[in-house]
Amino acid sequence: MQKFNMLRGNSRLVIRLFGWNLLSFLLAFLINNYLTVVLEYPGVRSFFSSPNKLGFLQVGVYVCSSFLISYYFVFYSNRSLRKDAERIHLFNVFLIRWFFWAVLFIGITDVAIAFLRVEKFLPYFASDQVISLLNKPIFVGSYIHIPIFLIAFFIALFTRTLGFIWLALLIVLAELLIVISRFVFSYEQPFMADLVRYWYAALFLFSSAYTLYDEGHVRVDIIYAGISGRLQGLFNAIGCILLGLSTSLAIVLIAFNGKYSIINKPVMIFEVSQTGTVGMFVKYQLALFLGVFGCTMIIQFVSYFFESIADYYQEPEKRSSFTVAYN
Amino acid sequence: MELLFLIILIALMALALGSGFPVAFALPGSAILTIGLAGVSGFIFTGDASAFFHSSGPYEWLSAGVTNLRAVYWEPERDTLIAIPLFIFMGLMLQRSKVAEDLLLAMAQLFGRIPGGLGISVIFVGALLAATTGIVGATVVAMGLISLPSMLRNKYSPSLATGTIAASGTLGQIIPPSIVLIILADQLASASDQASSLRKSLFKESSGELSMPSVLDVTSTSAGEMFLGALVPGVVLVVLYMLYILTISLIRPNVAPAVPFEGKMDRKFWIRIIVTLIPPLTLILLVLGSILMGIATVNQAGAIGAAGAVFMGGFRLTLGNKNAAFPSILAVISVFIIFYCIGNYEMNVKAAGSWEDYFGLWLGAFGSILLTVSFVWSLIRLVRIDGILQGVMLETSKTTSLVFIILLGAAILTSAFRAFGGEELVRNFLNSLPGGFWSKFIIVMAVIFVLGFFLDFIEIAVVVVPIVAPILLADPGANITAVWLGVMIGLNIQTSFLTPPFGFALFYLRGVAPAVVKTVQIYKGVVPFIGLQLLALLIVGSYPPFVNYLPTRVNLLSENGPPPKNPKLQNCLEDYVSQQFQKNENLVKAAISDAKLLDLSDLPRNLSNDVFKAFDSAELAMDQLGKAAEAKIELEAASVVYRPKLLKVRFLEREISAIDKELKTIGVEIERLESDVNNQNFNRLENELRELDIRKSELVAQIPETWSNSYRSFKELMKKESKARQEYRRNADKSYRAPAELLLIFRDNDEYFKAFISFNKLEKLIQLDDLELAIDQLDQIKRRLQYIEGTDPVVSAISKLRRVIKKEIKKPNHNITKILGEYLKLDKSYKAQLSWRPKSKLSLQSGMEAYLSATEDTLGLRSQPQLDRKVALSLSTCRAKHEDILLNF
Repeated sequence: MQKFNMLRGNSRLVIRLFGWNLLSFLLAFLINNYLTVVLEYPGVRSFFSSPNKLGFLQVGVYVCSSFLISYYFVFYSNRSLRKDAERIHLFNVFLIRWFFWAVLFIGITDVAIAFLRVEKFLPYFASDQVISLLNKPIFVGSYIHIPIFLIAFFIALFTRTLGFIWLALLIVLAELLIVISRFVFSYEQPFMADLVRYWYAALFLFSSAYTLYDEGHVRVDIIYAGISGRLQGLFNAIGCILLGLSTSLAIVLIAFNGKYSIINKPVMIFEVSQTGTVGMFVKYQLALFLGVFGCTMIIQFVSYFFESIADYYQEPEKRSSFTVAYN
Repeated sequence: MELLFLIILIALMALALGSGFPVAFALPGSAILTIGLAGVSGFIFTGDASAFFHSSGPYEWLSAGVTNLRAVYWEPERDTLIAIPLFIFMGLMLQRSKVAEDLLLAMAQLFGRIPGGLGISVIFVGALLAATTGIVGATVVAMGLISLPSMLRNKYSPSLATGTIAASGTLGQIIPPSIVLIILADQLASASDQASSLRKSLFKESSGELSMPSVLDVTSTSAGEMFLGALVPGVVLVVLYMLYILTISLIRPNVAPAVPFEGKMDRKFWIRIIVTLIPPLTLILLVLGSILMGIATVNQAGAIGAAGAVFMGGFRLTLGNKNAAFPSILAVISVFIIFYCIGNYEMNVKAAGSWEDYFGLWLGAFGSILLTVSFVWSLIRLVRIDGILQGVMLETSKTTSLVFIILLGAAILTSAFRAFGGEELVRNFLNSLPGGFWSKFIIVMAVIFVLGFFLDFIEIAVVVVPIVAPILLADPGANITAVWLGVMIGLNIQTSFLTPPFGFALFYLRGVAPAVVKTVQIYKGVVPFIGLQLLALLIVGSYPPFVNYLPTRVNLLSENGPPPKNPKLQNCLEDYVSQQFQKNENLVKAAISDAKLLDLSDLPRNLSNDVFKAFDSAELAMDQLGKAAEAKIELEAASVVYRPKLLKVRFLEREISAIDKELKTIGVEIERLESDVNNQNFNRLENELRELDIRKSELVAQIPETWSNSYRSFKELMKKESKARQEYRRNADKSYRAPAELLLIFRDNDEYFKAFISFNKLEKLIQLDDLELAIDQLDQIKRRLQYIEGTDPVVSAISKLRRVIKKEIKKPNHNITKILGEYLKLDKSYKAQLSWRPKSKLSLQSGMEAYLSATEDTLGLRSQPQLDRKVALSLSTCRAKHEDILLNF
């Protein structure tokens, strides 16, 4: 058995390098997206057409990230593929928990502000200057949403729940609020529907990664169910690269491609919905959710890829998973 | 080349799906791979990455795909999809709270004694669960665990038992609330938009007119409508299942024997039956009822259902505790308080003014708070008992995600399919089929049925529907409604749960069935039920009102239903009026001639003219309606010969335009080649060109010479009919307007007298040359009179006087005599009204009332602000049929 594993040592190294480098690429890509879009750096492509200092820095981000991650996660800590897969999965769970807390608190805060704004209660609490600021999406985005987002990071650090599952209950509650306020008080405002949509989009986009982990995504298993676990691992590994990663990478690369892409553009201007000040100011985050979906799927697919290869190599401690009730 | 990549796309998709990789990523993954492959090979072989695409390049299509994907949740138009997680939550909560188990046990005891009774009880419970939880897997598993053993023990044939269970489980897909119906509604809404523009361009091509009348437009749909539409077909299916079991058990009693009930059928037994039936029936009433009555949107109904399930779960799972029912009772009380408030107070927080309003609102708030408390209480219970709530939330998240990520993936796939011209290919293929709409429709349904063997409902709904639905909906020959198409597809997709090898219901049943039941027996058992589903498809297909009637009825009866003047209603409205005339034409005619005898001399000239003309118009309108009916008969007679001709010519024309397109592309290629001087290809293309030209002239020759003549004469007939209808509508409106206005004038007589205004002050002001004040005075009077019917002449006299005064104010010397002259005119007009109003009211009111009431449900129908209930019901029957509008194209 020992020998068997030794033989596989080299190919395992290549696979781990590949997986971790994909993650390092994602990290560097996101950093560079920030540099290009917010700080208006020229971008990596510019470096190759006409070399310049800032472009060089951006290329350096890719190189450094790849180097650091490869060194720390692959060479420095030599783990089994399963351990790697679990580590990446747990990181993803943390990431999604962070976003969940952010979405929860931003949703509640923003809907409260929207209510006060629409019903003109703000003058009781705030000065005219603050009120005019609260009517500006850029202010609300920068000075309310972003701080909450940072606070959520720490809450996520110290909590253990999956988080996103509560969104299922939250959309029930938010829709129920509409029902009660509409039928009992004949009161209905766009921000109420905005809240439901905000949490609902978060629900299915955030839970996709965990659904993959928990074998919740439906398969056509006419052949799949009949083959050995080893072969299943091989099929899954190939599928991860060709189908899963290609999809999620395409989404991320296209959605973050330049200033006018479908995520960067709404986020940069803190886009709001057509209802304007009577709605919530979170539409730009709906665009961002797509990025969250893409990134968490890339991370999860890397984890899944490691796990599938581990299945193929028949590494011990296979995680038992079961199919879930399906509608 | 595009075709090659289209084939690669489909092959890759089949391979990816077959490999067992999650569908949600297999679909977009193969799309992205193919787009990438086409881009790269295009770049290598021709130097142009977009060479192998139908239009645009790889990046454009990929980013179109990603934008499509975002569109699933980006715009409020697709908010119906939000109902999906809500209904999943409700279903899972009910599943955990053992509603299915209770029902199965109770119903088996109730129905067991009749032949085939256990089978019928399974179908009955299946239908009830379908209307509440609608989760196929859960229902099949519960039935497989509880009913299957007892059916087998009682000597049911294994295949009949398993078939019944699997088929009853799938009822959840067609009986609302159902997730597949929501997805179909979402897909069909955008498909109808596309169909509408397809039909418009068809209209432009065939008639040469730029804009299509809205009557000919495609009817779209919504999730609520789909629910309503699927209700009757669902019941049809349930009845078919039950009849089947009953027949089988009567013919071959040993297959489905009656089971004698051992317990006593005493009061306790009946109470138990009723108690177990309460939760599902309440939920059905709440959820479907609120949608059916048009009170709540589908999303709101979903939230209500989810809340109801939480209450039931909290109650059922603590059963045996002392205060198990406490939160539920509290909830019921608070709901009663809220209903009491809604019934007795003006519950509008924005418009509350009086003390009573506020009391109602506070009471309502109290009720809401009670409701919230009991809801939270139930939730806390569900958290405490084995983390039921967490389990439900996790499953809801996962199931929602699985459904939606497939939706997202399919958005990218559709974009790739378009990128390689797949959509046009399918359209051309379907349109080239002979036999009009039905041959297209049958082909599409057959394809969906076959796909059902390998794919499940979400994939079919999101991959196939966007491609074929616009083509089917656009066809003017059948002019189907989107809701009918959706329900037909829904019924068809339902079979995918039962068709091996990839039938979900079969999987689940196999998973829980005891080993003595062989898989082949399960397969054999579902065959008759698949047959019954196809039979239901046939029944609903041949009689569209099964689907269309309910949505139409609810729409027409709802508060914000269309007004009688809505152009889409007119044909049916006129049918209704004709029917009324058949019954009481003489009464109407008598009323008109009576009205004509009325003495209108008390009225001012213009009013009496209008009223008298109205009576003339009434006669004219009746006349025109008769003419329209005659023209319609004539048209129908002519269409017997005309229709096949039209079909043939339109078919030929489509072929010709396809050839024209080909000729154009070959022409472009030849042009390109001439610079390259590539003889071999050049000759080949030249030959093709010649052949196509010959084929084209053959086709052109097939168009009969008499065509243009018969086209023109048929159009003349159509024009004649539509003109008669237009005339009818104009005259009918006219016949009602003036008399109705007159009655309003009479109604306001008292107001007019109350507003008696002395002009003395005004006159004095004018004489004193205090014109500013005079204007103020005038404005006051005008404001008072404006809301009184029939004061137009007075008001205009006021305005005129005001204008004159304004003009004079600006001058240094005010011409008081001129102003006074105007003032006298005003005075005269005002006093005239004082005299004719009471006089004419006395002589005319009863006559006018008689005339209007005699004509209000015929000639005056269009002038009513809202559809009368009786009329609306008659219109629903009429509108529920599919109206053939082919002859307009």
